Amino acid sequence: MIRFDRVAKRYANGHVGLHELSVHVRRGEFLFVTGHSGAGKSTMMRLLLAMERPTAGKLLLAGQDLGKIRNSQIPFLRRQIGVVFQNHQLLFDRSVFENVALPLHILGLSREEINARVSLALERVSLRDKAMQPPSDLSTGQQQRVGIARAIVHQPALLLADEPTGNLDPKLAAEIMAVFEDINRLGTTVIIASHDLALIARMRHRMLTLQRGRLIADGEAV
Amino acid sequence: MSAQLTPDQPGKRIGATERHRVDSPPVEATEARVQLQAWLNSHRASFLDSAWRIVRQPFGSFFTCLVIAVALSLPMGLTLLLNNLNQLGASWQQAAQISVFFELKTTDRQAQALLADLQSHEGIAEVQWISREQALQDFSSFSGLGQVLQELPDNPLPSSLLITPLQIDPDGLQELVHSLENMPHVQQVQLDLQWVERLAAMLRLGERFIFALTLVLIAALLLVVGNTIRLHIENRRTEIEVIKLVGGTDGYVRRPFLYMGALYGVGGGCLAWLLLVWGFAWLNQSVTELASLYASDFRLAGVSLDDGFSLLIGAVLLGYIGAWLAVARHLRELLPS
Repeated sequence: MIRFDRVAKRYANGHVGLHELSVHVRRGEFLFVTGHSGAGKSTMMRLLLAMERPTAGKLLLAGQDLGKIRNSQIPFLRRQIGVVFQNHQLLFDRSVFENVALPLHILGLSREEINARVSLALERVSLRDKAMQPPSDLSTGQQQRVGIARAIVHQPALLLADEPTGNLDPKLAAEIMAVFEDINRLGTTVIIASHDLALIARMRHRMLTLQRGRLIADGEAV
Repeated sequence: MSAQLTPDQPGKRIGATERHRVDSPPVEATEARVQLQAWLNSHRASFLDSAWRIVRQPFGSFFTCLVIAVALSLPMGLTLLLNNLNQLGASWQQAAQISVFFELKTTDRQAQALLADLQSHEGIAEVQWISREQALQDFSSFSGLGQVLQELPDNPLPSSLLITPLQIDPDGLQELVHSLENMPHVQQVQLDLQWVERLAAMLRLGERFIFALTLVLIAALLLVVGNTIRLHIENRRTEIEVIKLVGGTDGYVRRPFLYMGALYGVGGGCLAWLLLVWGFAWLNQSVTELASLYASDFRLAGVSLDDGFSLLIGAVLLGYIGAWLAVARHLRELLPS
């Protein structure tokens, strides 16, 4: 589904985000990307979201070369991807329901369809009873669940999460990870960037370890 | 919940795949209908959202509309005043008549023959013959010298023709005067156009002033709308970034702001229309009073329905363009982070 073929990303200031990274991610896989700050985790995510383009190599997502994708096609690519942010990126002037419904409004779905899908997504993150509340009334963990619901509501093929448990205590972090595993079991490819090695080790999924933009390990977390 | 993206389908437009999957339309016609419906849904949502945001800030929105209204009503009001002056001037043009005085020895028959010739002249709207007797009678009544004139042995006044030209064109009039002077039995031709020319020059100056003022105010209006939209964009920065990350196109991001600009235009246009209607009604009280002192029933023509709708459409377009310029400039700066 995703193929990094000697992908490099060098920034204008000389910093190297990725150095000839070659990785293949299969459909339905659950993958952790780990490493210290500046290792290249976020660069990988940004490349997959077509927020940046590789400076060398080839990056394919579902056969589409993200190095050559036209700007006008990027929004349509992103509709296939769900994104979860460390800081949730919720809109606090809207209800939980409206936050989750945002990607569906972009798709132009009918009100009935939106209601059905948002309810389902909130059900999956156990927040259906909070639908009409503003995000500010929720705990940090619940806010992150809203972010996840928004990321999965349009049934993406790929779910990206950049440090999704960075602000959470271990118990909440484990709960959030359980939600990601549920989503993955339904067929969605999940890629999580995290530096929480203890948490990753408990989950026993494939883990890529990056260091200064280079892949130094690829295998099951232990 | 299931992953539907078929892996490794080169060249396939992913958005199309998504829509196909979401709605499962088996027939192309159904797909087109669904996409049209989605497009309409999206527009309706953007429109309602923009309207709601404007209504939610009544004071701020009102003052933005008021600034637009003032910027629009000034040139529009001055143009309408100028049109009224033009119409008034046109009625005064009748005073720009040419008087053709015949020699004293000219008979009525000769004068009427010339009258008949001139009635078919292409540059002349109307010709009126004033006989020597009529001239004496008019002069007696207007001058108050009736008694003195009656004691004169002969009527000293010649017969004359009063000619109303079709247009107040200085060159054409000079040509007409020249041809009248060369006609038989004509003693003198009088034409006084100076004040008409002055009025025309003042009106032309007024038109230029209003044109320049309109340009300046349109620029100011675009800036006002642009700045208002810029503030809305700043307030929704996070939302825009999220929308872009979850697949919103630039068109989708731009749409509510364009509706907002157009709605500000509607508000400003309606207010400008109201201001003009009220302003002209207020002015008309004094104008009709002044006109009545000159035995005239002149009154200012206000904002016609056509002018009102033109004003409204212009306001909507300017609001839309102002918003477009602001969004085009600021969207480039708002990349997802």
